[in-house]
Amino acid sequence: MKKLSDFFATGWVQGAIPPVLLVLLVAIVEIGSPGFLTGETLGLLLGNTAVLFILATGVTFVILIGGIDLSIQAVASLASVILAQLLPSIGALAFPVAIGAGLIFGILSGIVHVRLRVPSFVATLATGGVVAGMALWFAQGRAITIEEGGRLSTTWINGAVAGVPVVAILAAIVGIISFMVLRYTRFGRYSLAVGAGEPAALAAGVNVDRTKIIAFAISGTLAAIAGVILAARLSSGSPSLANQLLLPAIAAVIVGGTAITGGLGGVARTAVGALIISIVRIGMTFIGVNIFAENVVFGAVLIIAVAITIDRSKIPVIK
Amino acid sequence: MPGAARGRCMAGSGTFPLPAFQPGCGVYLLTINSETMKPVTNLERTSAMDAVFARFFRGEGARRLRTFAPLIVLVVLCVLITIANPNFIELRNLIRVANSAAVPLTLAMGMTFIILMGSIDLSVEGALSVAAMVLVLLATNDANGNDYGWLAVVAAIAASTAMGLLNGIIQTVLRIPSFMATLGIWFIGLGLSVFMLGGSAIRLMDNSIRSLALERFLGLPLAVWVATAAFLLAIVIQYHTRLGRHILAIGGGEDVAELSGVNIQRVRITAFGVAGFFFGIAGVLAAAQLGQSNAVIADGRLFAAVTAVVVGGTALTGGEGGVLNTLVGVLIVTVLANGMVLLGISPYVQQTVQGLMIIAAVALSLDRLRLKIVK
Repeated sequence: MKKLSDFFATGWVQGAIPPVLLVLLVAIVEIGSPGFLTGETLGLLLGNTAVLFILATGVTFVILIGGIDLSIQAVASLASVILAQLLPSIGALAFPVAIGAGLIFGILSGIVHVRLRVPSFVATLATGGVVAGMALWFAQGRAITIEEGGRLSTTWINGAVAGVPVVAILAAIVGIISFMVLRYTRFGRYSLAVGAGEPAALAAGVNVDRTKIIAFAISGTLAAIAGVILAARLSSGSPSLANQLLLPAIAAVIVGGTAITGGLGGVARTAVGALIISIVRIGMTFIGVNIFAENVVFGAVLIIAVAITIDRSKIPVIK
Repeated sequence: MPGAARGRCMAGSGTFPLPAFQPGCGVYLLTINSETMKPVTNLERTSAMDAVFARFFRGEGARRLRTFAPLIVLVVLCVLITIANPNFIELRNLIRVANSAAVPLTLAMGMTFIILMGSIDLSVEGALSVAAMVLVLLATNDANGNDYGWLAVVAAIAASTAMGLLNGIIQTVLRIPSFMATLGIWFIGLGLSVFMLGGSAIRLMDNSIRSLALERFLGLPLAVWVATAAFLLAIVIQYHTRLGRHILAIGGGEDVAELSGVNIQRVRITAFGVAGFFFGIAGVLAAAQLGQSNAVIADGRLFAAVTAVVVGGTALTGGEGGVLNTLVGVLIVTVLANGMVLLGISPYVQQTVQGLMIIAAVALSLDRLRLKIVK
């Protein structure tokens, strides 16, 4: 047991496991049902993964600094409600408004966490509750269908460019920008530093508080973008639209190989993780696993992935 | 979180080299675990602000005030609501409040022990829905021919307790933080119960179990008496058993507790099991009150439980607060919800208000001197 955990803790092994797993899964599915690797099904897979990936990318930023964001599903749902509610009256302007709401609540989560010094899982549990309540209130507790008039501004999201679904392209853009931000900006390096060792980052003069707030702001914004895309795809917004996405999103980040303790990981790993989760989901439907039982698998996968990737030397007392 | 004993010269995560002696931190600490307890200077933000803060919020008087603050809030809340709408104080409405507090109280009893340890149990909704699912599937129902009567209740509570024990085992054996372990178990439980129910609602038709919600004793529904019994049991556990004292000790400082001979792993697993036991009772009550079990029976329960515990004044850092605090917290949450209905405020805003209450309560109660790094 000890040796096994040592093996998993080796850097390159941890980095290599997710891609190998992904290739393995694709191979299994391809053998099980030949034709999976054709353009059409791949396009479908990418389209289905897009929303999950965007959500997971947002959480990646927060997990990298050593926190967690449990409010993403609420923020995404709120964005979908705002979009569906405002599209008829202000047209395409509803997009920036909905995404702006995500940004604001992201910053709010960050401020609650940093300034009031509330642990992030409680802070975001609370802001998630605040946001969910507001979404319920705006929508008066029901789902809002985007009417014919409003759909004019959402049809482009459901289209495809040269066979690649637009949502997949959007996800790719989000992914590339996030990758750049993490790798080539000061904020990116600071987040890794904060996640790797907060006292050290503090001693080195990193503005830890600002870095954390920005991470939460990004998480909120990306959650709102995911919610908007989801609403456009389903042509409706609802206060519980994204409720089922919290666990898969966090699982995607962890399965991709980003450590829950922070400082290790990145957007590319999350992309692999999101694809793994997507393929597992498709595979389960294919084998005939009941759709309700999927959460059981994801919950178990999450626990196993956390147990493998966590850096125990960083937490003296495991609470 | 590190223990208070390390105080100002506390170590961070110990990942960067430090000189052996540091000015401003003249005392060499007796290090128990040199890996994690290297002395650090004023790198940490222990500033004049913190000291002033400490004087104001940790003085003897302020301490007492903080202990009684939740109670004062509750009384003020009751008075304000009564002024706004005198119907609140009517016996019928008070019974209604007691009735709607039954499930949250039972849940929050379990949650209190976990938060006292400084951990968190996010699996409340999973455990509750599993208990409700087991109950309706084994008792008389409209989906299968089972009729195990009160054995179904025992099975439901046992199932939930097992989930709690599993939480504890995952947390201590795999050594992962409780919020991650219980996040996984939350969805495993939820998925399991929705799967077993086939995605639909199944009615509970066992009259003796239904009587928990329908029959009254001394004017109060039996569910309220069950919740009261759960409360008394929780008091006994906290104040009169070794488990209760060990839970407090772990929350106060796990390293110290371990050195004092507390079997951390056993206490943690038992505490999660006890929490699961309470969640199971709550699941039985919820199913009896609703008359069925469905996919959304547990929606919002986690939130209500955490709000109640935190608003009652139990510190998230552990070691401070307790079952009595939680009783006050549950009453605050329930009275506020009832008051909002009486005042005609949209019920949809309730979650928003509860969320703001969590933030306010945690922000006011956190012992900032003990909390150097907040993750």
